[in-house]
Amino acid sequence: MLCEDIEVALKVGAIEKSKNLCRKGQGHFQALFTERTVPCIEGIETSEEKAIAKAAEILRDADSPLFYGWSNSSLEAQKTGIELAKKLESKIDDTSSFCQGILLERVLKGTLPSCALDDVRNFADVSVFWGSDPSNSHPRHLSRFSYYPRGSKRQKGYDQDRNCVVIDVRKSSTSKLCSNYLRIPPGSDAELIEALLAIQDGKMPRFGEKKRIIELATILKKAEFGVIFPGLGLIYSLTNKMEIFDGFLAKLNAISNYKVIPMGGHYNTRGFNELMLNETGYINQVSFKNGMHHGPENDVINAAKSCDVCVVVGSDPLSALPFETAHSLAKSKLIAIDPRKSLTTEAASVVIPSAMYGLEAGGTAIRMDGLKISFEPIIESDLLSDEELLRRIIEAV
Amino acid sequence: MEIRDIFQYEVGKKSRFSSEFQGLCAQIIIDKEDMAQLKMNGGQNVWLENDVGKVVVTARRTEDESHPGLGFMTNRLWSNQLVRVDGVGCLIPEFKAIKVRVSGSNKGVTKLSELLERMRR
Repeated sequence: MLCEDIEVALKVGAIEKSKNLCRKGQGHFQALFTERTVPCIEGIETSEEKAIAKAAEILRDADSPLFYGWSNSSLEAQKTGIELAKKLESKIDDTSSFCQGILLERVLKGTLPSCALDDVRNFADVSVFWGSDPSNSHPRHLSRFSYYPRGSKRQKGYDQDRNCVVIDVRKSSTSKLCSNYLRIPPGSDAELIEALLAIQDGKMPRFGEKKRIIELATILKKAEFGVIFPGLGLIYSLTNKMEIFDGFLAKLNAISNYKVIPMGGHYNTRGFNELMLNETGYINQVSFKNGMHHGPENDVINAAKSCDVCVVVGSDPLSALPFETAHSLAKSKLIAIDPRKSLTTEAASVVIPSAMYGLEAGGTAIRMDGLKISFEPIIESDLLSDEELLRRIIEAV
Repeated sequence: MEIRDIFQYEVGKKSRFSSEFQGLCAQIIIDKEDMAQLKMNGGQNVWLENDVGKVVVTARRTEDESHPGLGFMTNRLWSNQLVRVDGVGCLIPEFKAIKVRVSGSNKGVTKLSELLERMRR
């Protein structure tokens, strides 16, 4: 969540003391000291210079390269990566393709109304976590913005001033903290939306526990400023029926004031999507071969089947993607730019170590709500950033 | 169904290759009634199998509300062995709805090294 209020004192090889670090943050800082990558070509340690030269050589000879990842890298690196993909007439895609992209695109194009997290803290009286579980995915979300803090118009505390709703298929950690929890069967989100719309039209819902759903509809209706935080649970349930959600938001906004902030899981997914939208008119899944083309044939799942080289920056697709796709990527020539060892670096033909952003390198990123955040390095490092490494590759290809 | 777990995330940030991380990834949370049907209390290993792949993980028993027929795993290499890709488009809805057969196993949990080997084949 790009928390900018963290205070950390480091000693050799460990964190001495910290303030405002969540568990994810603790893990991130401790990662400075463990499982760091070294420059490698085909599993043999080499120099950074030779690894960059080899990556450039592989890319020069590539027929169908793919550039993938980007969500855990800076805006500057993403911009340089897009430039390199253009120069090599490659395909480029990011993690949003199979995560929050379908919703982020709607937010970025203005189809869904959104707002800043600071507005949530100051004005929101209803926060809806729909298929999302911030206690596990964004641990400080509730305490900084969406439930517990006092804001300029929410001075009485969370138990009097705010309603927090969790809609999920299971009793998640977040549902145990919030005032309202509605459990629904997996894949039934569209039916729930239809039931809520029916209640707004004065009809009885034909889905689930009618009393609970009428209670939820009443909470939603009475909100002065409501915010929905959709997670992958909602997105995968609706998949190609997202217009149902658009219609639901429009209806809610006819009687109240509702915004949507997708719960992006990586710190700079939105940054890549914004850059791509400005550059190409699309947020992801673009090929620069013979001009510029967009479509599902360029998403990582399909592109992995046909690419001969894949450059991975700011991601670990071999760990996070379905086996079949990971297998295809592992069979291609992988070039991994990563500060830390991962399954992707284990399988890569070329590994180029980079500095960790926010710790060893500075830069900027776009938070889930669209706020641009700048960060400075907190320790000195000889390692180059993703941006600098990609710039070197551009010069060498 | 794949879920997020902050403990797994923290450990994974520190070490993707530690036995602690592998233990947190290679497990499935199963409903009490389903565990009883499998004649298990929790902590035993199970085969998860479908037409996409198979893997051995540790079964854990739910301590909260019941959810018969539904199991939960974190998104990592073990769950991803079972996720279908063909014909589902880029959104991969099977991340949240992976259908598997569950049966007892006297084998050890599938090791990370074995999964990496499968990937390289």
